[in-house]
Amino acid sequence: MAVQEVTSAFLKRFSARPSPLQHVWAAQCRHASTNVETGQETQGMETSDFSEGQNEGGQDIGRFDPAGVARKRGRKLPPSRYQFRSPRYYRGPLHPHQPLKPSDPASREFEAGPFSLPRLEQTYHDTLASDYMVMAYQHHPPGYEAPKKGDRLRPWVGDSPYYKNRPLRGPRGGDVLKLLRKPITFQNVPQLERVTVHTMVKGAIDDGAYLHVAGMVLQAITNMRAESHAAKRSVAGFGIRAGQHLSLTCDLRGETMYHFLSKLVDVVLPKIKDWPGVKGSSGDSSGDIALGLRPEDMTLFPEIEVNYDMYPPRMIPGCHIIVHTSATNEQDARVLLSQIGIPFYGKLIN
Amino acid sequence: MAGTVLSRPPQLTRDLTSFEKAFYLYQKRLNERLAMPFSRYFYYNKGTPADPEWKRKFASRKTPSRDIGVYDAYGDEGWNDEVLVGDQTGERESVVESLIRDAEGKSIVEEAEKDKGAPIAGDPQIGEGQRREAVRIEVERPQARLTEADRSGDEKSLNRKLDRTLYLIVKNGEGRWRFPEDRIYGRENLHQAAERILVQSCGINMNTWLVGNHPIGQHTHHYPSTSGPITSLILANPLVGTSKEMEREEYGEKLFFMKARIMAGQPELKENAYGLKEWAWLAKEEVEKKVGRGYWSSVRNMLAER
Repeated sequence: MAVQEVTSAFLKRFSARPSPLQHVWAAQCRHASTNVETGQETQGMETSDFSEGQNEGGQDIGRFDPAGVARKRGRKLPPSRYQFRSPRYYRGPLHPHQPLKPSDPASREFEAGPFSLPRLEQTYHDTLASDYMVMAYQHHPPGYEAPKKGDRLRPWVGDSPYYKNRPLRGPRGGDVLKLLRKPITFQNVPQLERVTVHTMVKGAIDDGAYLHVAGMVLQAITNMRAESHAAKRSVAGFGIRAGQHLSLTCDLRGETMYHFLSKLVDVVLPKIKDWPGVKGSSGDSSGDIALGLRPEDMTLFPEIEVNYDMYPPRMIPGCHIIVHTSATNEQDARVLLSQIGIPFYGKLIN
Repeated sequence: MAGTVLSRPPQLTRDLTSFEKAFYLYQKRLNERLAMPFSRYFYYNKGTPADPEWKRKFASRKTPSRDIGVYDAYGDEGWNDEVLVGDQTGERESVVESLIRDAEGKSIVEEAEKDKGAPIAGDPQIGEGQRREAVRIEVERPQARLTEADRSGDEKSLNRKLDRTLYLIVKNGEGRWRFPEDRIYGRENLHQAAERILVQSCGINMNTWLVGNHPIGQHTHHYPSTSGPITSLILANPLVGTSKEMEREEYGEKLFFMKARIMAGQPELKENAYGLKEWAWLAKEEVEKKVGRGYWSSVRNMLAER
């Protein structure tokens, strides 16, 4: 009996009355259509010095001067008491000295950022994505069933005993399975995933200085350190030996990507003379579209224009820009890029 | 019935929240501490006029960045990277101000008696102690985010609320504010009707495009069952060739909304076919105040938040 009483008392303590809990839950639910004005953003939050600004305790805030306090302090702690170095190597989960998470500013892998809210990103979320969904919407009347498609992988049909339990056969006309296109809903509107800027520096076969110049050019226009890649195998016809570093890439994501793309679309591409647009057949049929810039086009980037004299003449390389989108075919990716402002010409393939 | 939701997308980025401003400023300063030093020799060649200018600017702000205030990231007090409460460094106005000062060749912080000008060379008798004003560079300031239409509360201007989506709503003969709407006549499609409605209600003085051929929302209204169906005589529409005059009983209305965007122009209600009296470009929360409650509940989810 005693045990039962204790149990029920214990349970009672944890069962809250239904009405206030429901109220709290309802207050937390914010539907997409609920209006939030910019001034109201902090209404739901508890008040703190940060949100209040300099309203409360004005004198105390005025006196707060961490640098001055530190300067006045005569005695200093030894650096070992406050300077922490993350271990250089990961020595396994059981080691007492674990490296910090990359999100910790004291970690070796920490990268600061983001520093801004890019205009293109905002435009995508406010305008482009909803327009895309309206354009790509496919209406089916109630009761509609999508036609069944056959399996893409074929079984092995025949008398051979080796066909038993053999993995399925690839599709006809090649062994590459193309990505499937799903109907576009609010959950899978195509968006930009990353942009790869790539350049293969032919001059670097004979002279390594070309590679350094190309690295500086890419770093200037993309705001990222370029990564160099070694040739995988020798090609006697081109005079390439395996292991020679001949190409550079920058892989841009997030804020850097949005800034680079808007710079490209708003500043560089309009200034190229007689530029017809991106070729309609460009792309790898999985939603990635590439375009190329000639060396003379690279000088149109504002970062190169400001100190064009510092780059050795005729050593500025051209580059390939590959825009990776989350679309699974070229057509969807092209729609997204045209919304951003990249024109296409010629026959549109896939 | 079909309705057209004509909208103007946001032209400006939105205002950052106070937290975002503080966060971005902190991340920029943190980046100054962690990044490799600025490669001065690559950008400012020795012996060029830009080099001493750079040195002067750098000496006053102590950091290559122009928009993070006076902050010495590599110095002994680099740890003091958080601004105090009430600091204006991260505000948009002060960032713009410092960028403009930098472009004009001044240092980002006010200096006393320093950038007044260079000493006059040449005649030593006259020039002693006098200073010639250095060449003044005027950098064009960005346009204000608030326009004249915002200040005067002009709801007919497309230049108001530049960071919001604006929707065109019209006041019909009964005094109700709604999106432009009309019956569908003959064999026309929803998107054909949407384009026709724009022409017949707001004239041809607008450059618009219809985003898709599918509706983005719907509104159903049943007439009160006590009065029974309404018999209405529907005249043929002059713009629709397949429409004919007909009479039928109606139990209510079903309204489908089509999405359209405006690029230029303004509505003209002079010759509209629906007896519309007034129009306005309104943001989402202003639309809520004008339209009826039932209408709003079917319309609210298709309007963009910003």
